[in-house]
Amino acid sequence: SNENIQFSWGKKRAKGGAKMDTQFYGSFTFDNVKYSLYDCVYLFKNGESEPYIGKIVKIWQQNEAKKVKILWFFTPDEIRNFLRGPVAENEIFLASGDGTGLADINPLESIAGKCTVVCISKDERNRQPTPKEQTVADYIFYRFFDVGNCTLSEQVPEKIAGLEVNVLLNPKDEQVICYPDQDVQGMDQKVGAGLVAPLPQSAVKMDEIPVAPLPQSAAKMEDEIPVAAVPLSQSVAISLPPSVKEVDKAQVAAVPLPLAVEEDVPKPTQKVFKRTENLTTKNMPSKKLKLSQDLTTQSMAPVPDVKVRSVPSAQQTTRQADRSKWFKPQPWHGKLAQADKEGRLVYIQNLDIRFGASEIVELIREALQLSCTAKPINHPTYDDPNNGKAYVVFNSRNIADEAVMKINSGLVVGGRPLYCSKGLLKVPKPASGALVGHLTISNQKMNPRQREEQKKAVSTSHCSQPNTIEYDLALDWMLVREKQAMKFSILHKRHAGERKSFAAKMEK
Amino acid sequence: VRSLWIRGLGAPMANPNEHAEGMMGEHAEKEYADFEARVKRTIYIDHLSPVVTRQVIRAALSQCAHVVSVEFVENYTIPYDIPAAALVELDDESQARSAVDLMRDFPFIIGGMPRPVRASLARPEMFPDRPSPPGSKMEFLWLKQGDPEYDGMSKLKSLAKRQEAENMALIKNILEEEKELAAQQQIMLDANYYKYDLLENIVQNGTVKNLAGHYRVNLFDG
Repeated sequence: SNENIQFSWGKKRAKGGAKMDTQFYGSFTFDNVKYSLYDCVYLFKNGESEPYIGKIVKIWQQNEAKKVKILWFFTPDEIRNFLRGPVAENEIFLASGDGTGLADINPLESIAGKCTVVCISKDERNRQPTPKEQTVADYIFYRFFDVGNCTLSEQVPEKIAGLEVNVLLNPKDEQVICYPDQDVQGMDQKVGAGLVAPLPQSAVKMDEIPVAPLPQSAAKMEDEIPVAAVPLSQSVAISLPPSVKEVDKAQVAAVPLPLAVEEDVPKPTQKVFKRTENLTTKNMPSKKLKLSQDLTTQSMAPVPDVKVRSVPSAQQTTRQADRSKWFKPQPWHGKLAQADKEGRLVYIQNLDIRFGASEIVELIREALQLSCTAKPINHPTYDDPNNGKAYVVFNSRNIADEAVMKINSGLVVGGRPLYCSKGLLKVPKPASGALVGHLTISNQKMNPRQREEQKKAVSTSHCSQPNTIEYDLALDWMLVREKQAMKFSILHKRHAGERKSFAAKMEK
Repeated sequence: VRSLWIRGLGAPMANPNEHAEGMMGEHAEKEYADFEARVKRTIYIDHLSPVVTRQVIRAALSQCAHVVSVEFVENYTIPYDIPAAALVELDDESQARSAVDLMRDFPFIIGGMPRPVRASLARPEMFPDRPSPPGSKMEFLWLKQGDPEYDGMSKLKSLAKRQEAENMALIKNILEEEKELAAQQQIMLDANYYKYDLLENIVQNGTVKNLAGHYRVNLFDG
């Protein structure tokens, strides 16, 4: 539940509202992460694996309710229909114009974390980002999607959502941003005994680890070189106790320690941050930890009393804006479910596995004089490559029924008799828990800090080192897998052989 | 009555419009060449944990490759809980090969231990959005009861269905095997942890020192 999540207001701004009962703010700290106006954040929607990305453009409290107004970013998938030209892997698009989809008011509690979005537009109002900023950013954008007329444009509008566009582009000063450490070998040695606990089973996606692991790496730095297995997604702004900040005016960020940290950890981090300052002045060694900074910070959140808290389950407890209805082209899943409901979905088997969607559509057109959409659906790991499977969606239930009857009655393609049936195959919902074979250590004696260390160690990716128990176990898996691959290979070859000899017999 | 239809280079054979066909042919060839290049630089990762996101994959591979895109494979056909899988496109073919080599030679762990992921070079049929190879031939014919091959084809259909069932049985079997292995390893891990924990305790609470004193054994070398 939300009751125990840390929260405190930051900088106050104006008061407003009809009854003067609304207080606007410039920043707040939630779950031990500091958020300021114009920060980019993640918000989760129930049931979706990918979070929404947005920019905080207003923060206030009215009576008991804390709210934020979020200006949305769109991912390429969301505006697939309107996309033109090349799209970078981590490119997103800022909403502009007027209408549904520009911005929404959300409860503050729906925020799931922070991320870095860098604007690479060449417009003069945009401070050009450094190459470093660009590489480490979670996302980049330079295009705007007008929600009113559904058009994409590189041109920077004067205002968005009533705000001057300047405040929405890159902040004036360079941000030093965290990014995942690439050399995690050090972590494995720590894991020495090979006893590492992965995430607890409560379906937390990797992205949600965000803030928690960081202090652990910070804490670790006092005993060894700053090897940081840092969370792999968002950047996190780290806060320093005020004393340290005075020491280094230059770029030092401030974020209170994230959750589940022991109360004595704050002391070590003081030392630690001093050391990283030294590091930043030289050229960073290859094992790096960069501190994210937020120079608009003015009020320092004091290092809070951190409560140990169970793993956040953001997806259950927060309400989100519902964006599913906005000009989103239906992904295949939706199309298939819809078609199935209307009886237009047909499952065809025994195709040549090399057939792509276009070949299947053409086949149906030539053989049945019917139009359709098709999707080949073989699973590369498990399905028999001798038998190509596809979903085909027709325009009406009657047509689908007719097609099924005809095909089953005797359509042979390239020597293969096809067979088909109506309806979606029953598959289990994609698992959201840990993978079979990802083990946990049930140990209550570990203090929260150790638990966090272990969590973080496992949440990173690495080649398993031979001096660990983990390595032996991993080898077990590789052995089992080789055997499985052989079994499949033998079976599929046999199938192919059976079909060939059958065809040969028929020729006679 | 059987009707045989063979598909040629795009347009039906009836009225070859040379110019149009030529252009279509060229375009199709370029598109397919691009696709083949894309296949060569893509790797297929499976035995992946469902909680792993594309950010994680990107970071995981960053030591040996730059990830251009990640497309997760949907399970439409297997009625069991299976690991996730993804097609990961890298910068070029050499990165793809080195990534596959790395993950074949060493257990590479993403998002949870100790089960490692598996990587292989991608093949065209793994891509649901694959274009058709230009010049590919497709032929079909209609059979009905009474045609000479009709019975044979019916039997072939049954054969295909039986093979499907065999494949499913194998899938079920290996998934069970995996569950068993995981359970065994969990037991072993717990036992080991318990042992180490025990050792740590007796060291910490001085028992070992006492025993060492009692048996006049030197705890530390030299």
